[in-house]
Amino acid sequence: MTEVLPENYVFSIAVSPTFVHDGICFAAQQSGLYRSTDGGNIWQNAYKSLGQETAIPTHAVAFSPDYSLDRTVFTAVKGSILRSTDSGEHWLVSGLPSPPPVVSGLVVSPNYPLDGHAFCATVEDGVFITRDRGSRWATWNFGLLDLQILSLAVSPQYSQDEILFAGAESGVYRSKNGGRAWKAVSFPVDSAPVTSLVFSTDYGVDNAIFAGTAKGGLFKSNDQGNHWEVISQFEEGIDQILIGHDFQRKPENVLLEASRLHYSADAGQSWTKRRYTLPSGEKITCIAAAYGISADHPLLAGTVNHGVVII
Amino acid sequence: MGDAPQIAGNGIGRYRGNMNLTNKPGVLFQPNVQNRLKAGIDLIVNAVRPTLGPHPRLTVIQRTVNDMPELLDNGGIIARRIVEIQDRDANMGAMLTRQMLWQLHETVGDGTATAAVMFQKIYNDGLHVLANGGNKMMLRRYLEEGLQLVVKRLEAQIQPLEGQAQLTQMAQTICYDPDLSKLLGEIFDIIGEYGRFEVHSGRGRELEREYVEGVYWDAGLISRVFLPEDAPRQVEFENAAVLISDFDIKDAEDLVPILEELMHNGTNHLIIVASRLSEAVIGYLYRLNHTSGRLKIAAVKTPLSLPSDLTDMAIFTGGQALTTASGRSLGTVQLADLGRVRRARADMNHFGIIGGKGDAPLWRRHIAALQTYHAQVKEPSERRRLQERIGRLLGGSAILHVGGMTEPEIEARKAQSERTGSALRSAIGCGFVPGGGVALLECQSALKGCFEDRDPLEKRAAFRILAFALEEPLRTILTNAGMDLEAWIGPVRQSGSGMGVDVRTQKLTGMVAAGILDSAGVVKAALQSAVTTAALALTLDVLVHRRNPPQSNTP
Repeated sequence: MTEVLPENYVFSIAVSPTFVHDGICFAAQQSGLYRSTDGGNIWQNAYKSLGQETAIPTHAVAFSPDYSLDRTVFTAVKGSILRSTDSGEHWLVSGLPSPPPVVSGLVVSPNYPLDGHAFCATVEDGVFITRDRGSRWATWNFGLLDLQILSLAVSPQYSQDEILFAGAESGVYRSKNGGRAWKAVSFPVDSAPVTSLVFSTDYGVDNAIFAGTAKGGLFKSNDQGNHWEVISQFEEGIDQILIGHDFQRKPENVLLEASRLHYSADAGQSWTKRRYTLPSGEKITCIAAAYGISADHPLLAGTVNHGVVII
Repeated sequence: MGDAPQIAGNGIGRYRGNMNLTNKPGVLFQPNVQNRLKAGIDLIVNAVRPTLGPHPRLTVIQRTVNDMPELLDNGGIIARRIVEIQDRDANMGAMLTRQMLWQLHETVGDGTATAAVMFQKIYNDGLHVLANGGNKMMLRRYLEEGLQLVVKRLEAQIQPLEGQAQLTQMAQTICYDPDLSKLLGEIFDIIGEYGRFEVHSGRGRELEREYVEGVYWDAGLISRVFLPEDAPRQVEFENAAVLISDFDIKDAEDLVPILEELMHNGTNHLIIVASRLSEAVIGYLYRLNHTSGRLKIAAVKTPLSLPSDLTDMAIFTGGQALTTASGRSLGTVQLADLGRVRRARADMNHFGIIGGKGDAPLWRRHIAALQTYHAQVKEPSERRRLQERIGRLLGGSAILHVGGMTEPEIEARKAQSERTGSALRSAIGCGFVPGGGVALLECQSALKGCFEDRDPLEKRAAFRILAFALEEPLRTILTNAGMDLEAWIGPVRQSGSGMGVDVRTQKLTGMVAAGILDSAGVVKAALQSAVTTAALALTLDVLVHRRNPPQSNTP
């Protein structure tokens, strides 16, 4: 049975690692979690098996990198992380310690099939880590000088370098030991909060990381986060940065700045506005690059009042 | 009077035995000064020398007649235990050496045996130069000039120390205890250079570690009445307000306005930090906790190290440090003066905060400023105090519980853990160099070609002395391991950069690849201490004895 996607606030969209083949994506919304198996056209309530009558606001969703085999999806609700190993049919709930944390981001280790690591950023309680595929989550905040984590990114080379970056109210923190300890990097404190972080997909070669701030600054580090420089300045806060899968050869980025989309084909040095059509007064809250991020590829966009739209 | 040491008890001046020290004032001139100083220096260094290397031999120190003697392999502690020797002239040389080693131990926590053997070699070789007519002031100058060249060469070998595997290897090189090394590698990978590290006696026989999240102060609850009945060891509040003060609160009436404001404001938890509460106030708060229903209150003591702790607390929580010295009183406190925290915990000994709600960038700048200050401070006790403060503010501590079969075993392992921890901390900040004396041996190349035949005798001699001294740690390690010195020194010299002897396997190997690492900071400090102290000692010409020399309370 299909359902209409509720037209309310979308916090996060996640697309399957094999989206081009299976068309599976999830939308974390104020009213719960929704799943589409046809590339975002038709959506179903993914929490049906929980049997809840009231909506469960869901703040984040993330796929296992080995989703095609393990069918694992993580979602975050206030105070708990939910895990499904059958593509959202059934869920296991892992509680987080009280007071109930509000989750700002979920990321899964690229080496998840082997290490079982996943990470959860929270608005007031720092970073939670699971090392047993989501059964137990514990805080690991050694060295985090503030626990207001707004963005979190895991290295594509995580199995070798165990590097994570966390964007916080007071700047950027880096962990070189899988999140067990953090150290502030020399990101300018005055430019924080850091609302978005993304690794270059060729990080093993170029050592590049991008950071977007609430003040509109787009920063880049070319040396594993040791030094940062502003490469672009936007008018409003940067909500999300996407990066192309073949960044070394095609250095493309898409950036979401207060509902405006921008496209760069030169690793973020210059930007053009990406045009799209939305219902009048509507705003984009998050994006996902289901088909790639080139200018002519459609994106899935979460909105404030109209659920997920394809633009 | 012989040269035999009189080891005077387990500490400074606690026991002076039956020594027959003369109280007569006196002045000693050359040529006797150098010989007597040498006797004292040799005595201390020879007590420390056996402890260098992965096969250290222990030095046994008598405590009292009936107690089990103390078994030591730490040069700094051994030197500290020798508080006086009978020959008062030699005693001056001994105390000079002792002071150098203890200072080194206090500053970097390790490297005392390395410094001791280099110091002795430089001093003894320097005496030969002086006996052959060398000028002592010129010799000192050229020794210090050569030191700069050696330090540069040493710095060129430094590599950053990162990751649990390297830290474990470094710990193994320091303490030669695989289980302890593994745990210390994990701990310091987590807490880093500044993190808070405590070593406690364990209950069982094993080593265990515990990580505690949050910023903690050594100041507990003012009264047990604040402990909840269902959790009698600790009170824990969520989303609490914090009144940060050094007030002596005598009258419960003074608290009423701020408590009413909090209730009005919807705050459910309050922590009062105060230097004292009267019995009447404690009783009032107890009744309030059991009758108000919503607002729960606990009071903790103001930490002793005022005002820095209150400042830290205020910045962390976004509140004001309310001190009587600044003219504040309970009557002037407003809601905006209170700090806010995500979680707070207190027991009878500690008060901890997780997630202070102060200005995060300001908090980060505050810690960065303390770290900058720490890097500038030279005085060991001030450095330690600052390092502990920074470690506390970084928001977590690691506790190592050391178990064992007997109390002496536990104590020895605890001391070893602390010493290794100090060296690891230094190494995280300064990096590492190849261990086993190889990094110092490599520094010989910095002195080659730096002097010519036409240079003054003192310059040529100083550079040669330094070159020989740089070899002394490796020689001592080989000797202590019972290896044939002449059979190994040559091959090591010829085997190239970074190669040395792993005395555990008795094979030539790349020291870094074999995980034999030394803290760069420790090696550098040992080198500098040895050379500068020896250069100074060579210039000493006259010994003056007082009638009744005052006893020092410090090592």
